[in-house]
Amino acid sequence: MATLTFPLSRIEGHARVEIEVREGRVISTRFQAMEKRGFHLLVTGVPAEQMPVIVPRICGVCSTAHHVASVKALENAYGVTPPPAADTIRELLLLGQILQNQATSLFVFTMPDRLGVDSIFHVSQDEADQESQFNIARRALKVRQLGTDLISLAGGQFIHPVKAVVGGVSSGLDAGKAADFRKRLQDAIPIACELVEFYWEISMAMRERIGTWGDDQPAYYITSTEREDPRYDSSIIRVMTPAGECCSEFNAAQFHEVLTFEETDYSYAGRTSYQSGVMRANSLARANMTRSMGTKLADGFLRRLRKEFGHPAHPILLFDLCRGIELVYAIERAEKLLEIPLDHADTKVSYTPVDDCEGWGLVEAPRGPLIHHYMIEGGNIKQGEFIIPTVHNMLAIERALRVAAERYISEDSVNLELERAVGRVVRAFDPCIACATH
Amino acid sequence: MEEKTNHSAPPRFAVLQLSGCAGCETSLLNANEWVDQFDLVFMPLVVSAYEVPDVDVLFISGGVRSDEDLYNLKRAVKHAKRVVPIGTCAISGGVSNLGNRDEVRQLFMSQEQRRELPRLLPKSQPVDAFVEVDLYVPGCPPTPELLMGALLDPEGFSASSIVCQECGRKKLKDMKPEHLTGFQQGEVLPDICLINQGYLCVGTTTRGGCRALCTIPGHPCVGCRGPSNNLIEKDSHAWLDGIQRVFAAMTEIPEDELREALVSPQLALFLFQFSDYSGSQPRPKDKVL
Repeated sequence: MATLTFPLSRIEGHARVEIEVREGRVISTRFQAMEKRGFHLLVTGVPAEQMPVIVPRICGVCSTAHHVASVKALENAYGVTPPPAADTIRELLLLGQILQNQATSLFVFTMPDRLGVDSIFHVSQDEADQESQFNIARRALKVRQLGTDLISLAGGQFIHPVKAVVGGVSSGLDAGKAADFRKRLQDAIPIACELVEFYWEISMAMRERIGTWGDDQPAYYITSTEREDPRYDSSIIRVMTPAGECCSEFNAAQFHEVLTFEETDYSYAGRTSYQSGVMRANSLARANMTRSMGTKLADGFLRRLRKEFGHPAHPILLFDLCRGIELVYAIERAEKLLEIPLDHADTKVSYTPVDDCEGWGLVEAPRGPLIHHYMIEGGNIKQGEFIIPTVHNMLAIERALRVAAERYISEDSVNLELERAVGRVVRAFDPCIACATH
Repeated sequence: MEEKTNHSAPPRFAVLQLSGCAGCETSLLNANEWVDQFDLVFMPLVVSAYEVPDVDVLFISGGVRSDEDLYNLKRAVKHAKRVVPIGTCAISGGVSNLGNRDEVRQLFMSQEQRRELPRLLPKSQPVDAFVEVDLYVPGCPPTPELLMGALLDPEGFSASSIVCQECGRKKLKDMKPEHLTGFQQGEVLPDICLINQGYLCVGTTTRGGCRALCTIPGHPCVGCRGPSNNLIEKDSHAWLDGIQRVFAAMTEIPEDELREALVSPQLALFLFQFSDYSGSQPRPKDKVL
């Protein structure tokens, strides 16, 4: 028996893939998360009200989602409802997160696979034939920067936001700054659309070259965005059958009644399943489970996806195309929200913390439904639980790896395309290892 | 676009990520200047490369949490002319230090080890516990300006000495709170110092250079940049005394109440940020950006 090991890059965190082969037959494909800090343990004894500032440090890529999930868990525990202006500012925060993350995943993580380079930073200015690629890399980084700047505008700090607080947000948005930012978003819309078009084209070209969209078998899908159009500040989780029917709806506190979570001995991240079935979260789940995007240009892309690939669509490389749709959506939606005046003082309600209580907080993070669950005793965290969207995708990642392994491993040889295929498969799911292991 | 010919190759740099959150790397991605001036040869987050080659500058983020982190660290520094830990985790332990408390450590070591994976070390440790360091860039994360300063011109770069200089909130002589305001409670008045409003803000003694991103929108400084130059070579008691003196001068908050807040878990937030600045190995201030 032979074990093939593939270290991974251009994903968040430390992970590798192990494929066991016996006489040309694929025995197992394992996705291994290699690091562990233990946030569920290290928050023990921390004053509950400090959680919104501590937990963004679980992940510098998904920090905003953790920040908002944490505040929502405490509001759930204390019985507090934030005012509408706070909801809007939090939605802007989550849109900034989606914009930053999808731009990073599309242009920094997966575009090099389509262009055949090691990194977009290695697309050289000096080589004339790559000049257009160079310009694309520059513009892609500019669009990505908009996401970070939106997080700073709505959240204060640019990586680990501080402005969401129990009862609302600590301050409104200055009208002048909001207007300036709105202008930047308007200017970015055509650039983002062009980039997504370009990404779509090079993805189709890659499909031609490699002859597959990866694992295209049906799966269950899970999201916490709404039925009509995506809202990342969510309250209900939904599961969809492989045929496209909604089969379960539940709130964060019912998580363990509906889904099964288990640890494994080969990874520092666990995995979840729905009735033993393979489940997928992230962009493709959201695209499959929304009626429309609710913004003009993003809806154009969504209609095109459905026309070309059906509904629900299953091939995994479509995750990447769906990120492009969400990139456009996030810019359009944020532009619209910034029309609303948010500079008034009514961004926060007062509250009384409860010494002994329990709270659940849910948001749709870029990778799917994220839950924070706190048991609080004497005002301090007795136990913290973090249910991470990447963990919902673990079985789906391993199944897709098996499809790739069986495609490129035969009785007498291993096609070296397997190494690239492993990278493409994992990046399609955009796993976040810092989060998954926390 | 100009053809670049006949010039010496740009300096090479690498980013080694140990156990951390990738926030420092994300901050670096927001500073695009290096794209023109440096050749990024290793940074697994954004470049497919599996070994650290010879480089002029090696940034290191994250703490040493596993035997694999330690192995990668020791192997990488051999290839670097300058070793520069970036971010609080790599320098003073950061949020991971909350896991170094004995009761947490016991659970962590007994529950979390996996036979087929890198072995977890008993504690999360900063980079300079194992290797020589040329420059420290603290912050959670450091701003893109700080990272660029470290890369392009560490000698010429100077940050504000404390966060207050960048915050711009006014300190009022006649507004003296009698008690600490709860961590996230009460209205935050604009433009007035958070200490005047009873918040336990440590910006007065925390190294500047962060653009006061937290305090300007109304969140107390949690000290992620570490102690200012006046305090950085002293132990953590000197730093706690420094905070105490500021509050004695600016507020009517009883000394006991403040002292209790400073040493109790209420301060977990910045105790974890600072815990490893104390005692055994103070960082020389001329090495801290």
